[in-house]
Amino acid sequence: MPAATSPRPALDWLKHLLEETVTLIRSSEQQPRVTLLRRFPVPRNFALPGNARIQHGRTWRAPPGAKRVKRFEIYRYDPDSGENPRIDTFEVDVGSCGPMVLDVLIKIKSEIDSTLTFRRSCREGICGSCAMNIDGSNWLACTRTIAGTAEPSTIYPLNHLPIIKDLVPDLTHLYAQYALIEPWLKTRGPVPERERLQSPAEADRLNGKDGKGPAACILCFCCTAGCPSHWWNGQRFLGPAALLQAWRWLADTRDEAAGERLDALEDPFRLYRCHTILNCTRTCPKGLNPGQAIGAIKQKIAQRRS
Amino acid sequence: MPRALRPLSPDLQIYRPQLTSVMSITHRATGVALSAGALLLVWWLASAAAGPDAYARLHALLATDLGLTAMLVWTFALFYHLCNGIRHLFWDAGRGFGLRTIYASGWTVFGTSIALTAIAWILSSKV
Repeated sequence: MPAATSPRPALDWLKHLLEETVTLIRSSEQQPRVTLLRRFPVPRNFALPGNARIQHGRTWRAPPGAKRVKRFEIYRYDPDSGENPRIDTFEVDVGSCGPMVLDVLIKIKSEIDSTLTFRRSCREGICGSCAMNIDGSNWLACTRTIAGTAEPSTIYPLNHLPIIKDLVPDLTHLYAQYALIEPWLKTRGPVPERERLQSPAEADRLNGKDGKGPAACILCFCCTAGCPSHWWNGQRFLGPAALLQAWRWLADTRDEAAGERLDALEDPFRLYRCHTILNCTRTCPKGLNPGQAIGAIKQKIAQRRS
Repeated sequence: MPRALRPLSPDLQIYRPQLTSVMSITHRATGVALSAGALLLVWWLASAAAGPDAYARLHALLATDLGLTAMLVWTFALFYHLCNGIRHLFWDAGRGFGLRTIYASGWTVFGTSIALTAIAWILSSKV
């Protein structure tokens, strides 16, 4: 925009600001390309317990003759060493690597440092194993392109979880919270002779017309690990992943236990610690909407009371 | 290894600030600021009731740069908390959860509260 030649630079600047905002809104379903801050202005080890404070690790230089070198800063923790977690920097030749962040991790493990530990399985975004914090927000390493990451790219495990090794968090507590919402069909009447049928519209409530309903959740826990409410009150607040699944069973027309499901959720902490921050909806790598599901549960409880 | 001995992975320290989380923490911060502002309002009313001398003393305090800055922040806090509160009402009614809607309404709240703050100050400066 030729702002310098314009007679009204203030107006042009405002127009530019508006255009930038529209671009930000349009790109809100993608990974953020621009943010003012890469992280909140707090010390890097702010409020972390003594054994969790992160130290500087080593740098693994790129081999000579590497064509396209990109740096990856990766969280490392070795339970056998007795040392604190550290950040290792890997210089990777992405010219001889697959396109995804998971490809980088696999390349590092097979060619640079075989002790790098992470979970992975399907490599196509359906198993949810390789969920981790990439450039500050949670995503699946297998569906995140290297081209879309920062320089250097930072890779941490899912947030606020006990770390078993490197990028492998202990998910026991999150699975226990999932079990608490009793994720199975509950019925009272006699068992029918054949399947319990649903109309396409009823099935849409679970699968979503666009395939992004609550039943499409792969339990990768990107959302729960990215929820500030769950960081501070994770022992009692169920978190977006478990609550999305709670809604999946509440929305199921075949389920007959809505009342007792709502009774179990109606609690100042289990459900109502959700303050509609919506980091969950922002980060879901499957494009699902845990925030909306939690809103629907709250509404169902409100309707039951009136 | 017992789970208690495992190190906790970082959260706030490394998580990217996004419109969602930044607006949420701002909503809380403006709420706290408004509580402090309510005390000032009581002080202002009490000083007005106590007579012209007390009122003039408080006014001299508020007319300093620091006092004016605090009142500018409080004005923004009021409008931000109001606008974002309306946004929260829509969510409580089950509406506006699409990611694009979240971003559009969020930027609207930011823009509107800045504009309302400016209007309030321009109007009050003419009184």
